Amino acid sequence: MRWSKARALVLGLPWLLTFALFWLYPIVYSLIIGFTDKQLLSPERHWVGLDNYRSLLSDPAFIASLKNTFIFVVGTIPFTTVIALALALLVNREFRGRGVFRSGYFLPSITSMVVIALIFTNLYQRGGYIAYLASLAGLSVPEHGFLYSDSTALYSIMAMDVWMAVGYYMLIFLAGLKSIPGELYESAAVSGAGRIRQFFSITLPLLRPVGLFIVVINSIKSFQVFVEIFVMTKGKFDTSTMVYFIYETGLTTKFQFGYASAAAYILFVIIAVFAAAQFWLFRRKQVVW
Amino acid sequence: MRAVRTTLRYAVLLAVLVIMVFPLLWMFRVSLLETGASISLFDVSNLDFTLQNYLDLFESDRMARFLFNSAFVGVAVTLGNILFCFMVAYTIARYRYIVNKMLFVTVILILMIPAHIIIIPLYVLMVRWGLYDTYWALILPWLVNPIGIFLVKQYIESIPPSMEEAARIDGAGEMAILFRVVMPLCRPALAVLAIQVFFTNWNSFLFPFILTQREGIRTIPVALALYQGHQAIDWQHLMAGSGIAVVPVLVLFVIMQRQIVAGITAGGIKQ
Amino acid sequence: MTMKTLFLTLMLLACASSIAGKTTLTWWQFWTDPSIKPVIAEMVAEFERNNPDIKIELTDLTWSNGHEKIVIAFGSQTGPDIVELGSDWIAEFAANNLLLDMGRHIEADSADFDGWAMATYNEKVFAHPWILGTRVLFANRRLLERADYDSTFVPLTFDQLKEAARKINELGEKKYGWGSNAPEKHRLYKKYMPFFWSFGAQVYSDDGKYCLLASDSAVLALTEYKELHDKYGYVANQRGIEDAFLDGNIGFILSGDWLLKRIELENRDISFLTTLMPGRQRPGRSFLGGEFLAVNGACEHPEAAMRFVQFITSPENQIRFCRANRSANPSSVKAQQDEYFQSNIHLRTFIQQMIFAKHPPVDPDWVYMEAAIEEAVESAVFGSGLPAQSLLEARKKIENVKSR
Repeated sequence: MRWSKARALVLGLPWLLTFALFWLYPIVYSLIIGFTDKQLLSPERHWVGLDNYRSLLSDPAFIASLKNTFIFVVGTIPFTTVIALALALLVNREFRGRGVFRSGYFLPSITSMVVIALIFTNLYQRGGYIAYLASLAGLSVPEHGFLYSDSTALYSIMAMDVWMAVGYYMLIFLAGLKSIPGELYESAAVSGAGRIRQFFSITLPLLRPVGLFIVVINSIKSFQVFVEIFVMTKGKFDTSTMVYFIYETGLTTKFQFGYASAAAYILFVIIAVFAAAQFWLFRRKQVVW
Repeated sequence: MRAVRTTLRYAVLLAVLVIMVFPLLWMFRVSLLETGASISLFDVSNLDFTLQNYLDLFESDRMARFLFNSAFVGVAVTLGNILFCFMVAYTIARYRYIVNKMLFVTVILILMIPAHIIIIPLYVLMVRWGLYDTYWALILPWLVNPIGIFLVKQYIESIPPSMEEAARIDGAGEMAILFRVVMPLCRPALAVLAIQVFFTNWNSFLFPFILTQREGIRTIPVALALYQGHQAIDWQHLMAGSGIAVVPVLVLFVIMQRQIVAGITAGGIKQ
Repeated sequence: MTMKTLFLTLMLLACASSIAGKTTLTWWQFWTDPSIKPVIAEMVAEFERNNPDIKIELTDLTWSNGHEKIVIAFGSQTGPDIVELGSDWIAEFAANNLLLDMGRHIEADSADFDGWAMATYNEKVFAHPWILGTRVLFANRRLLERADYDSTFVPLTFDQLKEAARKINELGEKKYGWGSNAPEKHRLYKKYMPFFWSFGAQVYSDDGKYCLLASDSAVLALTEYKELHDKYGYVANQRGIEDAFLDGNIGFILSGDWLLKRIELENRDISFLTTLMPGRQRPGRSFLGGEFLAVNGACEHPEAAMRFVQFITSPENQIRFCRANRSANPSSVKAQQDEYFQSNIHLRTFIQQMIFAKHPPVDPDWVYMEAAIEEAVESAVFGSGLPAQSLLEARKKIENVKSR
C-alpha cells in the first residue's frame, strides 16, 4: 500500500513541480498585492486591507464588466455545448467525406483568436459581409455596424465566440463518443431500445465525464474572455468584461496593480463557485460500471 | 426514403461547413489581394490574385528563424504535455489519496486566475532565475498544463477500469499497465491534447513577447505583430501570415484525426 | 541551488565583458515594420562602428503590447537602458523617478529641437524629442469636385468645413461628409482636442489653479464636433475610417502622417488634399504628440546612452528615418527645413501644422484626465448626455483626481 502511495505521488510530480516552481509564487504574490495600493511603476506599496475590494464593489466600471461577463457566460455556453454535441453526432457516423467536414468545422478553432477577431471586425462593420447578408435577409443593421452599437456589440462578439469554439468541443465530444463501447449499443438494440432511447440512456450518461470537462473549461474561458474585446471594441459599447477591466486598470493606462489583483480574485471566487456547482451537478449519480 | 435522408444529411453538413469556413475563405481571399486593394465587400467576380504577399513574408531570412523557434518550442511543449499530462491525469483519476484530490484542486485553481495578473510575478521569477530571454522561459512552465490534465483525467474516468484489473491479474507491472494498457486506450484524448497544446503554443503571443527580447528567439505570432506598422494594419500581409500559421496545425489535425476516431475499435476493448 | 550558481555565473560573465572594455546598452523601440526596420538596424550598426567601445542590443516592441512590456520591466527594476516613449507616457515615468534627468547633457543643443515641453516635468527634462506627430485635415478632392467645389477650394473655417461636409453627404450612394471616430481609448479625445483648442478652450487656467474643461468655448467645441458626427459622420475606429476614406467614401477626416505612408505604399488611387485644421477664424489648433527617447535612471552608463540618443536624434538620422518611414514631423529644426519636407506639399502641411498645434499638459494624472475627457465626448456624441453636462461631469472627475 505504501508503494502504491509513493507511485501516486511520483506520477503527480511533473505537475507538483511546475506548480511549485512557476505558479505558486505568482498566485500568492497577486493575492497579497490585492490588499495593497501597489502601482506598477512605483516601488512603494502600503497595506490597505479590504479597501480595494470595497471600492471595487462600488465602482460602476467594475459592476458593468461583471454584468457583461455574466451575459457572455450564460449566453454562450449552452449554445456552444449543444451545437458542439450535435456536430459531433453528425460527423461521428460513417459516410463519405466526413474527414473534410470534420476538418472544416474544426478550422476556426485552430486559427489565432487575434486574427479571427480582426476578420470579424471587418465582417461586422457597416458595409461588411455580415451586415450585407443581414440586410439581404431583411434584418435591421445598426447604423454604424454591429460593433458600434450598445445593443448589438456584445452579442455579436458572443456569436463569433460560439462560432469559433464549437469545433474544438465537437472534437472532444467525438473523442468521448469513441470511449463508449459499441457492445452497449448492440445489447440495447437487442433489447429493443430505439435510437432516441439509446441516446438518452447510453450516450448522454457516458458522456458525462467529457461533458463536465467541456462545461467547466468553457465556463472558465468565457469568464476570462479578453482577446476578442481587446481587438474588437476595447471595452466600449458596453462590452467591457472582467478580465478586460483587470487589464485596463492594472496593465495599461492606470497601472493600479493592487486594485486589478483584487478584481482578479473576485473573478476567481466567482469562477470557483460556478465550477463547484458544475462539478456537483455532474457528480456521478450511479456507478456506471 | 434512404436517398432523401442522405441528401438531407449532406445539405445540413454543407450548410454548416459554409458557415464555418466562410470567414476563413475571406481571410484567404484577402491574402491574395494586391496591397492597397479595398478589403470591404470586394467584388466576388474579381478573380485577380497575387502571391506577392506570401513571397514578401519569406523575403527576409528572419522568417525561417521565427518558424524554427515556433516549431521547436511547439514540439517540445507538446511532447512534454502528452507524457506529463497523462501521468498526472492517471494518478488523479485512479488513485484516491488525499494528495491526489489536492493535486486536482491546484490544477483547477490555476486555471481560474487571469494570465494578466500572473504574468508580472512570473516575469520577475524568470529574471531572477536567469531564464528570461531563453528558450527555457518558453518551454518549462508549459510542459504540463492544467487543461490537458483535466481533459485526460476526465477521459480516463470514462474508461472502464476492468482492463487494468485484468492486466493486473495477469501479473503485469504497474508501469506496464500504465503505458501499455491505459495509454493506448487514451489515444483519442491524447490526440486532442496534442492538437490543442500545439495550437495554443503556436499562437501564443503575450507570454513569449513579455518573456523574451532577443530577436533570435522570438516566435511567429510575435513576428506577425511586429510586422504591423504604427496606426495601420497591413491586411494583405497579415492574412497571408495567418494563413501560413494555420497550415502546421491543420496538418497535425489531419494526422491526429485518425487517432481520435480510431478510438476504442482499434484499441480493442473487449469486455 | 543550481539557479543561484547559474545566476552567479551570469553575473561573472557580465563583469567579465565590462572588463574587456565593451559597454552594452539595451534599446527598446517600436519601429519594426519592413519599411523602417532596416534603417533602424543600419543606424545602430553605424553607431557601433563609430563607437567601438559600445554595443547596442536592440529589442523590437509591438504597437499593440509594447507599452505593457516597458511598464512591467520598469516596474520590476529591469528596464532597458534606453527606451522609446510616447509623449503622453513621459510624466508617469518621470514622476516615479525612473528616468535620467537629461539636463546637463542637452544644454548645448536644446535650441535645435522642438518638443522639449512635452518631456519637461517639474522643470527637468526627462526625454529627448525624436519624431513628433500631429494631425491635419485630409479631404477627398474627387468628392469635393462632385459637390461643385473648384480645385482651389480649401476649408479654412469650421463653417466652410461643415458646409462642404454637408454637400458631400448629400451626394448619397454611401458617401459621407466626415469620418467620425468610434470611442477608442487614446484616439477619440485626440480628435476632440483640436476642436477644443481651436475654440480657445483650455484644460487649466494659466495659473494652473482651475479646471476649465466645462467653459463655454469647450461646450461649443463639443457641440460642433457632435454636429459633424450626427449629420455627416461615418463611424468606425481610426483604421476603419481611414480605410473608408481611402476607398473614396468619406469627404474629410483628421489623420496623421501614417496615412500618407499608406497612400504611397499601398499605391492608392485617390486624389486628396491636406490642409491645416480649420478654426473659427483661421488657423485652428491641432494635436501635438510624438515619440521620445529616454534613458533609464538606473542606467550604469548614462554618458554612453546619451551619446546614442544624440546620434539617433541627429538631424541627418532624423531625415533618414523620416524618408524611410514617411514621417512628416522630425523634432530637429534643421531637419524640418530640409528640401525633402519643403518640396512635398503634404509634408509641408504637417510641418506648418506643428506651429499651430498644442499638446496636453505634462501631468502624471493625465491618463485619468484623458479618460474623463474621453468619457465626456463618448457620452455626448454616442450616448444621451448633453455636451455641457458631460463636460461638467468630466471636470468633476478631474477635480476629484487632483484633490486626492
